[in-house]
Amino acid sequence: MIRFENVGLRYGSGPEILRDVTFHVLPGSFHFLTGPSGAGKTTLLRLLFMSLRPTRGLIFVFGENVTDLSAAGRSELRRRIGIVFQDFRLLEHLTTWENVALPLRVMGKRESDYREDVTDLLRWVGLGDRIDSYPEILSGGEKQRAAIARAVIGRPELLLADEPTGNVDPVIADRLLRLFVELNRLGTSVIIATHDYGLMDQLDAPRLVLYEGHLEIR
Amino acid sequence: MQLIAEIRDYPWRNLATGILPTRFQSKTAQIVPSASIAGNALTVVIAIMSFLACLTAGAVYMVNQSAEAWVKDISSEITVELDPVNTADIEKKMTLVSLFLAKQAGIVRVKPMSAEDSAKLLEPWLGHSEALSALPIPRLIAVEIDRSNPPDIKAVSAALSQNFEGVTLDDHRRWRAEIRTLTRSAAAGGFAVLALVAAATVAVIVSATRSAMASNREIIEVLHFVGANESFISREFERHFVGLGVRAGLVGAVSAGLVFFLLPFVMHLLGGEPATATEMSRLVGSGELDFRGYLLCILVVFVIACLCLITSRVGVIRVLKSYA
Repeated sequence: MIRFENVGLRYGSGPEILRDVTFHVLPGSFHFLTGPSGAGKTTLLRLLFMSLRPTRGLIFVFGENVTDLSAAGRSELRRRIGIVFQDFRLLEHLTTWENVALPLRVMGKRESDYREDVTDLLRWVGLGDRIDSYPEILSGGEKQRAAIARAVIGRPELLLADEPTGNVDPVIADRLLRLFVELNRLGTSVIIATHDYGLMDQLDAPRLVLYEGHLEIR
Repeated sequence: MQLIAEIRDYPWRNLATGILPTRFQSKTAQIVPSASIAGNALTVVIAIMSFLACLTAGAVYMVNQSAEAWVKDISSEITVELDPVNTADIEKKMTLVSLFLAKQAGIVRVKPMSAEDSAKLLEPWLGHSEALSALPIPRLIAVEIDRSNPPDIKAVSAALSQNFEGVTLDDHRRWRAEIRTLTRSAAAGGFAVLALVAAATVAVIVSATRSAMASNREIIEVLHFVGANESFISREFERHFVGLGVRAGLVGAVSAGLVFFLLPFVMHLLGGEPATATEMSRLVGSGELDFRGYLLCILVVFVIACLCLITSRVGVIRVLKSYA
């Protein structure tokens, strides 16, 4: 599903942030991506999500070499990937429901076909009473859950999450992890970037550890 | 094939609803909010462009219609001119030439003009004077021809010259050529004005598109992350610009239509005498637009909407490519 071969990345003429990163992600797998702050976790996620191009090496996403893929091709692949950002990236002028429904709207689906699904998912992540609220009045944890709901509403084949439990209490964190596990059982590959060892210890999943630009699988 | 598929899958309904003011649109919020796209200033500028374009198109259309009517009028007539100098009995010659003309095939009516009629034609230049009767004013015969079966003008002219001395035939070819030159010049001037208006509209939309893209950068990034392609993103922007173009274009077109409709009344209110109306009528026909003229204004609105659509689409896609 995902293949990195000797991938290196540097910003401008600066030092390499990632060096010779090589790994495979198989369909239906679950990985944690961890490492100290500044190790390049978010950069690696951005490469996975095709919002950055590597300065060297090859990246294959769903069998496509993304290094020379067109903008339209990248958009097609992104529809098969859900992503949760550390800073949520919710649109302030849309309600929680509209934010979560955005990927389906982009896919061209009819609102009547997904209205119930979006509402049910929002209830499941504990935002049933925040459906018509705007992001500015949501707490950090609520925004995080809305961002996760937006990432999973399109039943992506690959889910990327950058510190998804960083702003939620342990109960909600546990619930979110169960959501990710449930999605994984349904066939979605999951990569969660996190510092939270407590979260990682709850699940026996391989860890991609980044340290000084190098990747190690444990 | 890709173009056909794009046209087929295009959300025309969204585009149509985008034309409506925000308060009448769907309850689902727009991904790109209207407030972030364009202010009233852009609407006013496009309305003014539409107004100018409609005025120009309408004026050129009226001049063209009027000129066509002139050409049609003078195409049905030829004039025979008799030189009175060295002619002993000009009245007798008039009669003979008239009879000769009446016998020619393709001539419907022959109307000899009296000496007074000929003198009256010179009054606009020489004024009313008894002295005119003393001048050797050429005598004229107006000849109406059958437009469906016109005479052989060259043959009639040659026969006249052969049978009568000092008689010439004028088929108004020179006037028709001059009128055509005038209308073509007016049309060319009109097109130049329309091209300038179109260029200004495009420039304004390009600038507004860039500004809208800059102020909605975060929305564009999120759309990219959820898998939106360039077409989807550009549609979200262009629906605003098309809506704005249609609304502002209609305001301009309706204003121009009102100007055309009210022009005769305004002239009257400003103290225009019947003579002014007559001069106006000579210049631009009736001075009022007919149904086709008003349709032309609608066409201007359509063209402005298309300019908004194409310019914003190209602008958005170019900016998106620069982001990539």
